[in-house]
Amino acid sequence: MTLPTLPLPREWEFPFDPPPEFALLRSKEPVIRVACPTGIDAWLVSDYAGVREVLGDGRRFSARPGQIAHVLKSFDPESPVDGKFSRMDGPEHVRIRRNFAPQLSHARRLAEMRPLVEQITTEAIDRLLASAPPVELHVTFSRWITTAVIAELIGVPPGDRHLLHSAAQALFATTVSEEELQEALMPLFGYLYGVVGARRANPGDDVLSRMIVHSAGSDRPLTDDELVMMNGALLIAGFDTTASLLSYGLVALLSMPSQWAALCADPSLAPSAAEELVRYLGVGTGLLRQATEDTVLGGQRIKAGDYVVAAVQSANRDPALYPDGDRLDVTRRPGAHIGFGHGAHTCVGQQIARMELATVLGSLAARVPSLRLAVPLAEIAFKRDTVVRGPAALPVTWS
Amino acid sequence: MKVAVEDGLCIGAGNCVLTAPAVFDQDPAEAVVVLLDPAPPESEREAVELAVQRCPAAVIYLLP
Repeated sequence: MTLPTLPLPREWEFPFDPPPEFALLRSKEPVIRVACPTGIDAWLVSDYAGVREVLGDGRRFSARPGQIAHVLKSFDPESPVDGKFSRMDGPEHVRIRRNFAPQLSHARRLAEMRPLVEQITTEAIDRLLASAPPVELHVTFSRWITTAVIAELIGVPPGDRHLLHSAAQALFATTVSEEELQEALMPLFGYLYGVVGARRANPGDDVLSRMIVHSAGSDRPLTDDELVMMNGALLIAGFDTTASLLSYGLVALLSMPSQWAALCADPSLAPSAAEELVRYLGVGTGLLRQATEDTVLGGQRIKAGDYVVAAVQSANRDPALYPDGDRLDVTRRPGAHIGFGHGAHTCVGQQIARMELATVLGSLAARVPSLRLAVPLAEIAFKRDTVVRGPAALPVTWS
Repeated sequence: MKVAVEDGLCIGAGNCVLTAPAVFDQDPAEAVVVLLDPAPPESEREAVELAVQRCPAAVIYLLP
């Protein structure tokens, strides 16, 4: 008997929502066997409680196969972990996270970063308003902002930032082979080894220097390989994911005039709007885990070694979380959505992402309230063959 | 209301501080949770319950 295929986003039919089959799955079969596009079979978990359980239990459901090996061919779930923190479990993984956290998710450090994010945002909107509409926002605005933020934090000068873009393009594409991926990442990693050496000799105030200095005092200082791996991941993930959600979020807001109007009437809603967009749009392709023991989930018997796909966006639309979860509402009361993931592998950059999204959305709403799509929603082309979803281009205009 | 934390598994995400800043802080060294008030007033109950839910590592406990 052939298995049903893993339902994946179909933005040309449903621009903002998980495919409608998820509503039935959540209520009738929250854990079912599916065939994934990369050739593995997996248990698809689509309800909020089940997805929280899977992602929250790193012992029972290991990250070893890699977060996205169910949809990206360039990632072999059976390959050696090779020091990649997104595939590690337990204390080894926590050690890496403890080296990231003081730089990326400490409240006071984030407060210190805020002026940088505001300054970059102000400059981006100044440039936008100085140009003649219509303008394409995703590359020249969203990606420009998020690249500038993460590159400033890590200390990559403007002339070298092209290395991030080509690396990200290869890393998140479903059509790239493992060899092509390694080839595309080499220039960035080679560059970073050079930067690590320079910072060891002359530490500055950037994230990379602080990680070096901070871990030098611990009983297991970070090695060059670890530093390159961690900062490479930050650079690549840090700009593309946030930029894509920013652009995708703008498509959603500008397609729902009452929501954009609410934000323009009160730009202090921006943090709430940012949170709601992460819940509404995040991680449409789901996250992969592997069962480490025979276990039961949603009434199904899972065997040790079975793959499990956690359908995050579907979970975030589960009525168990909010009764009207399929509605975008920038005024929604805070809750425990899992658009940044859940468990030990929850997005390491989420606090910076929140700050960027809120700053940009609030500033745009305050300074360009007449912003609108320059084409009908049906003509917005979404990126294909990638896990980092969003518009391929975002043509906008304003008065 | 009594609150406890199990900081060995804390990954320093900081959601607790954002959600209930009167009850939680982070240490400067590893951004690990610091429980400012193990017996917060009832007025903090909603914030603490949300902090429990929003903790990615599930290291915050609201004791009966």
